[in-house]
Amino acid sequence: MLRAEPLVRVQLLMLASEAQDAALALARFGVFNPAPCTVDALAESPAAAYREAWLEAESRLSKLLEQCGDIGPLNLPADAEAPALADLQELNAWLKEVWISCLECHENEARIAEARSHLDALEDTLTRLERLNVDLAHLLRADSLLAVDIGSLPAAGLRRVTEALAMTGHLVSRFDQVGEQVFAVIAGPRARRDEVRGVLAQAGWRELPVPDELRTHPQAARTWLEAERTRLASQSGAACRVMDGLRDRFGPRLHEARLRLALARPLAEAALAGVRGKGGLAALSGWVPKRRLDGLRATLDERFHGRTWLDVREPSPREVAEVPSLVRYPGWLAPFVPLVKSYGIPRYGEFDPALPFAFTYLLLFGAMFGDIGHGAVILLLSAALARRLGRMAWVGVAAGAVSMLFGLFYGSIFGYETLIEPLWLSPLHDPIRVLTLAVGFGVGFITFTLLANAWNRGVAGRAAEALFDSGGLAGLAFYLGAVGVLASLAGAADVAQPAAMLAGLGIVVVAAFKWFEARAGLGERILVTLIETLETAINLFSNTLSFMRVAAFSLNHVALALAVFTLANGLDATGHWLTITLGNVVIIVLEGGIVAIQALRLMYYEGFSRFFSGDGREFVPLRLVSQQARV
Amino acid sequence: MSAYLDTRVSLFSGRLWHDTALAALIGVPDDAMSDAMKRRGFPHLAAGSADEAGREDTRSLEQRIVAQILDETRVLIRPLSGEARSFLTFWTARFEMSNVKTLLRSKLTDERPAVVLARLTPMGAFGQLDHPDLAHAEDLGELLRRLEAGPFAGIVRHARRAFEQTRDPFNLDAALDHGYYEGLIQRARPLEDTVGNPFRTLMANLIDRINLVWLLRYRFNYKLPPAQVYYLLVGSHYGLPSSRLQELAALDSFEAVLAALPAALQSQLAGATDIPGVFGRMESAAAEQARRVLRSRGPAIARAFAYLILRERDLRGVRAVLRGRHLGLPAADIRQALQRGSAEAM
Repeated sequence: MLRAEPLVRVQLLMLASEAQDAALALARFGVFNPAPCTVDALAESPAAAYREAWLEAESRLSKLLEQCGDIGPLNLPADAEAPALADLQELNAWLKEVWISCLECHENEARIAEARSHLDALEDTLTRLERLNVDLAHLLRADSLLAVDIGSLPAAGLRRVTEALAMTGHLVSRFDQVGEQVFAVIAGPRARRDEVRGVLAQAGWRELPVPDELRTHPQAARTWLEAERTRLASQSGAACRVMDGLRDRFGPRLHEARLRLALARPLAEAALAGVRGKGGLAALSGWVPKRRLDGLRATLDERFHGRTWLDVREPSPREVAEVPSLVRYPGWLAPFVPLVKSYGIPRYGEFDPALPFAFTYLLLFGAMFGDIGHGAVILLLSAALARRLGRMAWVGVAAGAVSMLFGLFYGSIFGYETLIEPLWLSPLHDPIRVLTLAVGFGVGFITFTLLANAWNRGVAGRAAEALFDSGGLAGLAFYLGAVGVLASLAGAADVAQPAAMLAGLGIVVVAAFKWFEARAGLGERILVTLIETLETAINLFSNTLSFMRVAAFSLNHVALALAVFTLANGLDATGHWLTITLGNVVIIVLEGGIVAIQALRLMYYEGFSRFFSGDGREFVPLRLVSQQARV
Repeated sequence: MSAYLDTRVSLFSGRLWHDTALAALIGVPDDAMSDAMKRRGFPHLAAGSADEAGREDTRSLEQRIVAQILDETRVLIRPLSGEARSFLTFWTARFEMSNVKTLLRSKLTDERPAVVLARLTPMGAFGQLDHPDLAHAEDLGELLRRLEAGPFAGIVRHARRAFEQTRDPFNLDAALDHGYYEGLIQRARPLEDTVGNPFRTLMANLIDRINLVWLLRYRFNYKLPPAQVYYLLVGSHYGLPSSRLQELAALDSFEAVLAALPAALQSQLAGATDIPGVFGRMESAAAEQARRVLRSRGPAIARAFAYLILRERDLRGVRAVLRGRHLGLPAADIRQALQRGSAEAM
């Protein structure tokens, strides 16, 4: 729980023709994280074509399913085999055929929709032109010297088109606008007609076809428009029937395609990491937990009866940064893990901060927001919204419970500080003690982070940093020594002399380390050593003082409640209880939210940033679509 | 914010190459090339370079160059917000537009999705398009519909309408370029008002160069009619405003166009006899202007934009050198390519 599981690097050699089944077996096994194969002798990529076909087929299938709707749950039989490359390509070709049929229906629908909007525009045009009292037959005569076009173009291009056409003696007259489309009449010398064609095409000009009927008899034109609309409606219905036909005809086969693509997924996914091979051989590389190695061997033997070769080795020091982290968390801790991972993934071998994070986060939240009533509201709300919040509801329940516990310690219920006796202390009446405790907690927390950092550096093989750097044991010696001196000065302890010696020794070692680490000229080296050593001291103490906010927020909680009571006491009975209720809602929402963020901030910046690089790789096992990894 | 950006730009500007240093790169021995690149902040440009984990970098030279520019832009826009951030972010969208063109062409030539995906430029934090989804579109129609549902809907819708009329791929490309630069000018306008002359000069050099080179190319290489040429140019309020562009587009020869340019541009282009020559001279003048802005105590956003212009020019030069060396071209040819600048970027 505090460290990633030990992993081993495995390389599985098999017949290339069985690679898809091997990947499927590994996905069913559930804890194989694929990794690039590094054997130079295996120069080919036998699964590349497989992945390409799978990606194409998967893309077509998802588009088809989007059209036809989901066609039921997917149950993969335990003995089902993954399709071979030829099968996959055949499936892909079939999906392409079906999707193109669908696409034609789509294109038809789009064309019909566009034709409809043109008809609408034409009808509007008719209405307007009727009012203009223009003899259209004369205007649109094909043998006239004046060429006239009626049509539409994007509104944004109108000015540019007008300017461009002016260069050829053409006029553009806008007469309507629908959305982003402008309807216009373009007129100009017929002799220069060719010069404007390119501009109009480039500008996205759509000509409105004006039928002969329109030119002479408006009533006939309206009849023509109605007939066109009916024709388009029948075409649209036909397109819908085609779509329904597709659904009925291909539904079961699409379901089968879904199943086969799910079985093909493992090799396609593994190919992304890099399946290598040569001739008839293929190799799959990756990481598996050491404790599951026997299980892996048994799985492969059962499936392939000795037709595979499994090469196993421990990760080398050079590749530690490449090894993924697989940490098993108990169910109660799992909801806190996303909060840790939002900062970063622990490196393989590094100390995993999820457990101390969960405890410390709850402790800080409770200490800053200690109130039995407010905690109970948070707890009950989280429990009530458990279905919507998922596992994160548990974080709310736990935070609410800890808040209630601290409420008991502080003797606080919905801001009332006098209803019950505090079991421990009242922040309002003993603020100095609260501040001292907060700083004391900060000292303990920073000590822990320095130890964790020293451990992580040591595990990563950077012993010098673990021992002598500002974040290592030397930094810790300086920090504890300085804390001892300050405590002695404040009269809380009597260890001034040994503490000063410890602090002095620590800071000298840190400075010496910085000096040897700096790669620069003499002047710059002196400067770097001085500044970085000074920064060590300042950082450690400013980070410690940062924990005073824990006390400040616990006081703030009481102060907010006092403000609410002051307001409420000036009102009548109804106003009083209304103010008390609304005030408590504001405290829970506003202060609760701020405290939740502040606790997270303390964890991230005063804690994680000190020992947690967060640049590890997550263990991502090969998976089947319908099966969760058995981690 | 401004102090951070100023400091960043000043630090970055130490990486820029002088033309002489770039020319000297032609003669650097192969084994010293990687070091020379690293010294200038181009660790990934030397062929066969590996990442920190020792994995081979399989990206093409172009992809590495764009990755470098995007990395630096990401650092520079960190302290920016509002119009300045929007402008520099859109400045990087040129590469995404180039991806859009690649995707569209791949559908016209029925290329395999895996092949086209390998050619697309990864946009990292600036990525706005789902490349795999777009590459797997069945045909051009589906691809255009998907693009029209994305962040470049306005530009792509216009391009589709232009293309549908003629089915001419040129119309697609021209509409996309036109739409992009119109968008850039639109985003630059508020900055020109607030930041002032240094920024405006940089934009003016860029847009005037694009308009003049396009005008010459469309008019005299593609023989398009004047009205269409004018329509394809970017609406401008800089040194070559729309009224001047109309007059220039109506002229009948390359020489007549150069002779009708404003005096400042005429002297800049003295001796140019072809379009690459025009591009090279205008680009050199723009680079000189950008250097002046970079050295000045001008507004931080103008200095950042100047740096990005110069850095991209450098990278194009480095690409020319690396490609020339890779192809085994004589040093004189590579040097000539450097002097003329590369019109490919447009």
